[in-house]
Amino acid sequence: MQKSKFLPRGRKDRTVVLVDIRETKSAKAADLFLQVRPGKDFEMLTILRAMIKGEHVTDDQVAETGLTTDVLQDLIERMKKAKFGVMFFGMGLSMTRGKHMNAAALLTLAAEMNAFTKFVAMPMRGHGNVTGADVIMRWQTGYPFGISFNRGYPRYNPGEFSTVDILVRGDTDCAFIIGADPGATMPRPAIEHLAKVPTIVLDPHVTHTSRLSRVHITTAPAGIAAPGTGYRMDEVPMPLRPALNSPYPSDEEVIRRIKEAIAEKPDWMTDQPQMIFSQV
Amino acid sequence: MKPITLKLKREPTVTLEAEVICPDGFAEMSHEQIAASVVYHGKRQVRLDEFFDIEGERSEHLVLHGSLQRVRHLGRGMSCGSMTIHGDVGMHLGALMKGGQIEVFGNVSDWIGAEMSAGEIHVHGSAGQQVGAAYRGSLAGMRGGLIVIDGSAGIEVGMRMRKGTIIIGGPAKDFAGLQMKGGTIILRDGAEIRTGAWMHRGTIISLKPLALMPTFAESGQYNPTFVSVFSRLLRRHGFELPNDPAKGVYQRYAGDRSVPGKGEILIWKGHPEG
Repeated sequence: MQKSKFLPRGRKDRTVVLVDIRETKSAKAADLFLQVRPGKDFEMLTILRAMIKGEHVTDDQVAETGLTTDVLQDLIERMKKAKFGVMFFGMGLSMTRGKHMNAAALLTLAAEMNAFTKFVAMPMRGHGNVTGADVIMRWQTGYPFGISFNRGYPRYNPGEFSTVDILVRGDTDCAFIIGADPGATMPRPAIEHLAKVPTIVLDPHVTHTSRLSRVHITTAPAGIAAPGTGYRMDEVPMPLRPALNSPYPSDEEVIRRIKEAIAEKPDWMTDQPQMIFSQV
Repeated sequence: MKPITLKLKREPTVTLEAEVICPDGFAEMSHEQIAASVVYHGKRQVRLDEFFDIEGERSEHLVLHGSLQRVRHLGRGMSCGSMTIHGDVGMHLGALMKGGQIEVFGNVSDWIGAEMSAGEIHVHGSAGQQVGAAYRGSLAGMRGGLIVIDGSAGIEVGMRMRKGTIIIGGPAKDFAGLQMKGGTIILRDGAEIRTGAWMHRGTIISLKPLALMPTFAESGQYNPTFVSVFSRLLRRHGFELPNDPAKGVYQRYAGDRSVPGKGEILIWKGHPEG
């Protein structure tokens, strides 16, 4: 690992703490492993928030998380002594009971740690260019996801406008899926709704979603046969050069051509105009 | 005053945003003006009478009929009059309301009474998530008024609420009173886990035992006087809070110490019979 002026011994000057519900292979690479009881992340993070402020916490209160006050006190001392701390979190936090509030607890803890030392939190991303989608939506609209444009300006309300909730409630009459496979991951009512409405899929492969879609347009795989920009987990943009040629168009080209085709037909909705009164 | 009656004549295929259905505006409108009010069916602007049969005019009392699950923002920011709804209602019912009354004979969806500052909402069925809550990024939820839910409620009841009262008749899900800053939540049938998480101030009264966060501390048993006073106010909604020292006491918990907060959770403990 990189040696630097302030960390001359490289890895030896760094501390890795792993928090998980079971001892995974990563535990070997970590200096400290804390086994937290499943579904008790929110409680553990909340106790940590109390302890960094010097609130007295007893072993009885900590017991339900599967840890002890000594272990947590030691963790807090290490965190406060660090020059720059990073918290990485993943689906174990955001997809278990409590969902967004588990992530919120971790982010708040990171924010509050800045009273003592520099601390940040970073989500561990899954496949593909997830960070890219978030970053682009953020600078275009001000929000990373769960955005509605139906009133002509972006509105943000996860739970109301996020894809899975809209599909589960059946609030759309069409779906346009680009480079994703909700048919493999989303709950059954959402998948049933996708099968019911006209679904258009842009994907290089045949997926669960493309099987239940009305239209599947095969595209060139981004980064392999189509150029573009991929965002690293730490939001650094990386230019992607295609290594292979593909007979298929890129996602961008397909969407551009759909847009052009629509622009050529300005009267495509005359029986149902978008506006009945001219907007001021 | 004869009320305006709106009957849903065809169900919207996508969400219908109808913040125009609000007593404030309709009080001054003729029948033709009401019929020509703009609602948003998805992105399309349509006339109100494309979806509703409308009877009556110039009234601040509205009666709605039909299954309105996809109709959102009803009574947004209303300050007077009343709305009576027969059927299920979609999100944001009575959000930002400043006065008046809403009564629903049916179930309601998420965000009802979000950030309201005064007025009354009574739901005879169950409610969705974030009852009387703060919108994302906003610092304060409900700032006054009263929400009564006879049935159950979803997660984050009264999230970041500052003032006012929420009464849930059935069981509530996780995070009731999350980040509360004031006001009162009464849980007549208890709640699931993490009740009162991160609360700064405010009171949660539960008549059933709760599984509390470890950051709450026990702080005595008593029969608070304010509960009796409060109970008298709630009598017109058809129920009372028990506070007879002969029958039981309230166990008080203080928290949430992670914030660190001065909120209180009162859990009724009845004395065993005999």
